Amino acid sequence: MDSILKRWSFSAGFIVILLFAFSGNADSQNSMLTDSSRFRKFLPDYVKFQYAGGIGFISTGAGYTFFNDKLDVSLFYSYVPHMISEDDLHSVSLQFTSRFLHYKLSENAEVLPLNLGFFIHHTFGNKYWISLPAHYPDNYYWWAPGRNAGLFVGGEIKTKLLSGVTPASGTAFYFRVGSRVLYLMNMVGNNEIPLDEVLELGFGLAIYR
Amino acid sequence: MRILLFIIAMVSVSCTDMFDYSPYIVDFTPENSSVNARNIEQLKGQTPDDTITIVVTGDTHRAYDETASFVEYVSRMPRIDLLIHTGDFSDFGLPKQYEWINNILLRLKSPYFVTVGNHDLVGNGSYAYEKMFGEMNFSFIYSTVKFIFINTNSREYKFNGLVPDIKWLGNELNPDNEFGKAVVVFHTPPFDEDFDSSLETEFHSVIARNGNVLFTLHGHTHKHEITEPYQDNIPYINTYGVQQQCFYIIQISNDGFNIETVVF
Repeated sequence: MDSILKRWSFSAGFIVILLFAFSGNADSQNSMLTDSSRFRKFLPDYVKFQYAGGIGFISTGAGYTFFNDKLDVSLFYSYVPHMISEDDLHSVSLQFTSRFLHYKLSENAEVLPLNLGFFIHHTFGNKYWISLPAHYPDNYYWWAPGRNAGLFVGGEIKTKLLSGVTPASGTAFYFRVGSRVLYLMNMVGNNEIPLDEVLELGFGLAIYR
Repeated sequence: MRILLFIIAMVSVSCTDMFDYSPYIVDFTPENSSVNARNIEQLKGQTPDDTITIVVTGDTHRAYDETASFVEYVSRMPRIDLLIHTGDFSDFGLPKQYEWINNILLRLKSPYFVTVGNHDLVGNGSYAYEKMFGEMNFSFIYSTVKFIFINTNSREYKFNGLVPDIKWLGNELNPDNEFGKAVVVFHTPPFDEDFDSSLETEFHSVIARNGNVLFTLHGHTHKHEITEPYQDNIPYINTYGVQQQCFYIIQISNDGFNIETVVF
């Protein structure tokens, strides 16, 4: 039952992301969405596909940019198949990225060399509780296995790739190096943990509307 | 674009280990797997003399540097037959934390055995424990002494009445020709509120039943003391956490045992 639910939630999540992707890019095909500015302004500014980065084997996300592209907020759905892990892992994460530096390389390319981000990562499943279950006294454990927060730095190159052949305005490629608070606090006062052990690398692409 | 792809390719090749998918992936190297079984094999290769020397530590949590000093100190000592860790090996039960502590303990020359603690069971910690060490309830005989390790962290199982497995413990303690005395090791002591109170009396009576238990070892409360909570000459030895920078050396001989505290 559990695995059926998981499979279902994975499929549902994936369909939602695909819908986002479709609605975000298929301007000419979908007249209901494009003709109405009421709907259009709520469409995500981009969809993302990410590999690793501590949140999943593969992640799909969508989000918005604010303040003239200086702030980026993304919601990811991530999946780790059971071939890699003990069991299928499903998670969501919310990421806030500040993108202070923008350099225009050419008409078709822009570099964002210093993106700083914060993320909250929530893993689904009974083992990964968020609020302390009732069988523990108050404050028994101060952390929650189901919800971790972390920080990352990264870079991005925005290109016009796909803009001529699809309704997308462009494609960006990004990478990120991050860590989570639970790892970082184990480094405090300890020389025994090498820095590379706490770092989580990831990369991905974003297709802009 | 090409530069970025080049960077990604370079990074991918040089640090594949750093592309993490989740903090809950258990992907231990062979040396970080089946540790208890391997150490039992090592123990079988040792020839015991008339005194068994044991080092006891526990509650390593996030005290990585103290654990490293402890390991360095113990490695310089003359003959240690085996080392016992009374649980709370990891800080939050995360696979990486299991690895970080075990990478330090792997420097030990003596075989070591780790009891499961409540912190080790949070998240998917029980899976990580089983992959790294093996069964949570296990035993071995060295010389004429049987060492029995049992999971007593009842609260982690919502006090379901099955932890600790008293029937298993009873079978292990049944006298036979293979051993004379026994030592029982666990993390949460029976008089603690994290132990299933409905099992406390039975747990201790099984320990006392055959008169063959020399002493028990536990951790959890982060204070060192030796008591006889049930007034029947069975000492409950509460071990030092590694953070207290002390440990016990216990020597077992035909006359009984003695305990010494070492500061490192």
